[in-house]
Amino acid sequence: MAEDNQAVPGFDPFMKFWADMTGRMAASGVTAPTGAPDMMAQMRKTFFGAMAEYADDYMRSEQFLSAMKQNMDNALAFKQQINQFLTSTLQSSQMPSRSDTDHIVLLVRGMESRIVEKLDDLSARVDQLEAQRNGSAKKPTGKDKPQHKKSGRSQR
Amino acid sequence: MTTSAAMPFAMSPDAAMQEWMKFTNKMANWPKVAEVARNTRVGATPTQTVYQEDKLRLLRYESDVEKRHRTPLVVAFALVNRPYILDLRPGKSVVHHFIDRGFDVYNIDWGVPEPSDKHLSLEDYVLRYMDHVVDQVRERTGCDQINLLGYCMGGSMSAMYTALRPEKIKNLILMAAPVDWSTQESLLSVWTDPKYFDVDKMLDTYGNAPAEWLQSSFMMLKPVQNLFEKYIGFYENMENEKFLEDFFAMETWLNDNIPVAGETFRQFVKLCFHRNLLIKGELEIGKERVDLGRITCPVLNLTAQHDHLVPCGQSLPFNDAVGSKDRKSINFPAGHIGLAVGSKAHRDLWPKVYEWLADRSDELEG
Repeated sequence: MAEDNQAVPGFDPFMKFWADMTGRMAASGVTAPTGAPDMMAQMRKTFFGAMAEYADDYMRSEQFLSAMKQNMDNALAFKQQINQFLTSTLQSSQMPSRSDTDHIVLLVRGMESRIVEKLDDLSARVDQLEAQRNGSAKKPTGKDKPQHKKSGRSQR
Repeated sequence: MTTSAAMPFAMSPDAAMQEWMKFTNKMANWPKVAEVARNTRVGATPTQTVYQEDKLRLLRYESDVEKRHRTPLVVAFALVNRPYILDLRPGKSVVHHFIDRGFDVYNIDWGVPEPSDKHLSLEDYVLRYMDHVVDQVRERTGCDQINLLGYCMGGSMSAMYTALRPEKIKNLILMAAPVDWSTQESLLSVWTDPKYFDVDKMLDTYGNAPAEWLQSSFMMLKPVQNLFEKYIGFYENMENEKFLEDFFAMETWLNDNIPVAGETFRQFVKLCFHRNLLIKGELEIGKERVDLGRITCPVLNLTAQHDHLVPCGQSLPFNDAVGSKDRKSINFPAGHIGLAVGSKAHRDLWPKVYEWLADRSDELEG
């Protein structure tokens, strides 16, 4: 029988939870229920307290984590299949797909970064030239560099 | 023979009738409940958008209260939820404590990332958006330095930003902000273990971290409380209008999750949860290393004793990592959200936080 019990997933943690809950009830003086509302509330609080602890323990267990991984893998595989199907459908009908827009976004971001870098270089050179013209030996540091801001800003 | 001892769960006819009456009264109250739910409004203080960049909006809280402090306060919330939690309802508004006492307060609304925003990284959020917001507020107010308050993930980002641009921050307040992920105390740390969670696979499939997925993860952190106790509490208090207003405001916020930009989520999981680089001083954003030791401004670190999302152990090491001499932490008996909306926090904690900040901010002359 004991071996049979071991084979039931989650049985041991459940037994632990049940033993914990009944132990707590006994400790808090809950013995012969009379149906009084405050006693019922106490019972409920104890029950949920023990259940919350059990749930926390269970969600840290190898058993739960493996199941979570498996469920997630299955959900992702399903979603990937849908994505592939939609992409191929759109491509075969000569329409832009998600991967096309991703590609464009990446190109724009790359271009934006390069422009910002160039602007920073230019600013640094202008600073250097101004410093030379003023006869100062001071060289611009990274801190002095104006940080050029990327597009899409509006001020109100 | 039919005594309560013989039938332990038996109820007397009187008690049964009382319970039945209570139940029918509650059921009769449903139209009122529906009306309260329909009329629930979130966001207590009117705001004005003073700056916009892509999807980000910088909100300034409007108030007739005379300004007493020159140094403004910028609030940065996490990327996973809406920022109005800090101004949820009258009496439950963190920003109200500061506005009411003469601070100029701004809140960053990061916006909702679209699929095309999946490339946005920590560099974009911290070094670009946050920096532009800070510059914008400095320009508007004529102050060289601002006060920064970061909550949860927004706190981690505020810490990163302050370490990278220390000259722009006068005072830093962190609120339940994780900086050290070395412990497995939080379930999120357990669930993001690379053995069980392939963040690359998820983001390659979805692009951004989906809002529904984040929401169910947060709900499962406390399943008994979120799936049972909450609704029992609702049933028991459904005749209390004040309770219902707070309940529906909170539910509105809890169900208002937003996706997180894919690249930022990937970096957060890999660099923070997996490798814990921030507290080690090895995190790089853009081409700059984030050294918390560079933070020398006064620091106030607020943690919640019963925080299931960001246990105190993830926040407290921050005070030892910074270079500030003026640093303080308050470990308040509340939960992660209770720190922002709990009645006790508004009565006992936030007035102290205001005092702390007021003592360290420039006053307006005249």
